[in-house]
Amino acid sequence: MARTSRQNTTQTEFSGFGRYAGPATLILSSLADGPKHGYALTKDIEAFSGTRLAPGTLYEALSRLEGQGLIEAVESDDRRRPYQLTVLGATALRSHLAAQRRIADLGLRRLAGTWGAA
Amino acid sequence: MLRWYPREWRARYGEEFTELLVSDMSERSRSVRTPADVAVNGIVARLAYAGLGQSTLEDAERSRRTLLAFACAAAVFVTVGLGIWAQLTIGWQWSPPDTVATSVAMFVMSYSVLVLLALGAMAVVPLAWPTARAALRRRNVVGPLALTLAGAGILIVGSRHFANGWPGTGGHQWAHQGLVPGGLAAFVWAATLFVTAYWAHPGALLAFPAPEIAWMVLSPVALACVALGAVGLGRQIELSPRLLHYEARLAQLGGMVMFVFLVGASLWVVDGGPGPRNLFHVGAIDIAGIGVMVVALVTAGRALQLIGPNPGARAAR
Repeated sequence: MARTSRQNTTQTEFSGFGRYAGPATLILSSLADGPKHGYALTKDIEAFSGTRLAPGTLYEALSRLEGQGLIEAVESDDRRRPYQLTVLGATALRSHLAAQRRIADLGLRRLAGTWGAA
Repeated sequence: MLRWYPREWRARYGEEFTELLVSDMSERSRSVRTPADVAVNGIVARLAYAGLGQSTLEDAERSRRTLLAFACAAAVFVTVGLGIWAQLTIGWQWSPPDTVATSVAMFVMSYSVLVLLALGAMAVVPLAWPTARAALRRRNVVGPLALTLAGAGILIVGSRHFANGWPGTGGHQWAHQGLVPGGLAAFVWAATLFVTAYWAHPGALLAFPAPEIAWMVLSPVALACVALGAVGLGRQIELSPRLLHYEARLAQLGGMVMFVFLVGASLWVVDGGPGPRNLFHVGAIDIAGIGVMVVALVTAGRALQLIGPNPGARAAR
């Protein structure tokens, strides 16, 4: 029951992003291994996903994620402020990626059943 | 390019965003993609900081801005709606409509206007004390208050003046059979005279008396002064969680009544007829007006969705 409730919470958090769900997942995944500033986020996301987020899109998503308490800014003297995941953000990302993996696994199983293994 | 973003956003993210923009532009060939991306997301951020989306604002401030956004959308809706309604009530001064649809539409719209005005008064009156308190605390309320009162004064005096020139106020032999008192119909007609298709026909517009054309230019400016002043006031006064909750409840009721008004207006547009002497003819300006009202209602609905069922409790946290 508690799991369902938490899943609902995280699903709501992601569904609120609409067209920003993609950038939000990429940013949270990038921050999963530690804090990064905007430029480092762009580079990391481009490296692991092949998608280069434009500056406006990146900061729009950062602003939304910060507003929802999924990430937070880290104190820094640098002009480029790093961001890190919050506990809520880590929970939301884990739940969202698990749901994505279930869909991916199901799709791959059905593909293999109909079209044969790759 | 940072000008696309609201002031608070620039204060919070401006420096780091500029750094990223410079790096991005130095690494990529020139294209319209980056400026377009900045412009689109800047507008999205402006909407968010106006209370119509997620932002880093405190809950209380966000709720207050969302209420203000609702009020602005409602003001646009009511202005355009009154323009349409006044045209029909003036028509009824001369002759009643000859279709059931237009008659029903008129009753629905008239009662909706009455309820909306009552809700508006109920929303504004409790704000008098927080406004006075803000003035005593030397917050910047004098300027916005003066702007609001000046705009309202011009609107009232001007509308009274031009309403008196309309034969529907009682001076004409036909003007005795309206749905609402002739003076009220003429007043609202004069106040919303600028909601007209004549702007698209300058030749016909120039045939109007010069004072009337001047009023058609001045009245929306006065209305804008009222709106800007009210928004300025709304940003300065502090709403207690209880008052916030009360205003949110009124906003929900207002949203429902606006929807009912729109149904009435749409009924006239879809099923009404031109009526006797073409008095209830549906013109392009009315179709455009319905479109503007739909957009305003959708915006108001989005604000209501964001305000939620209990903004007072959220703001108190």
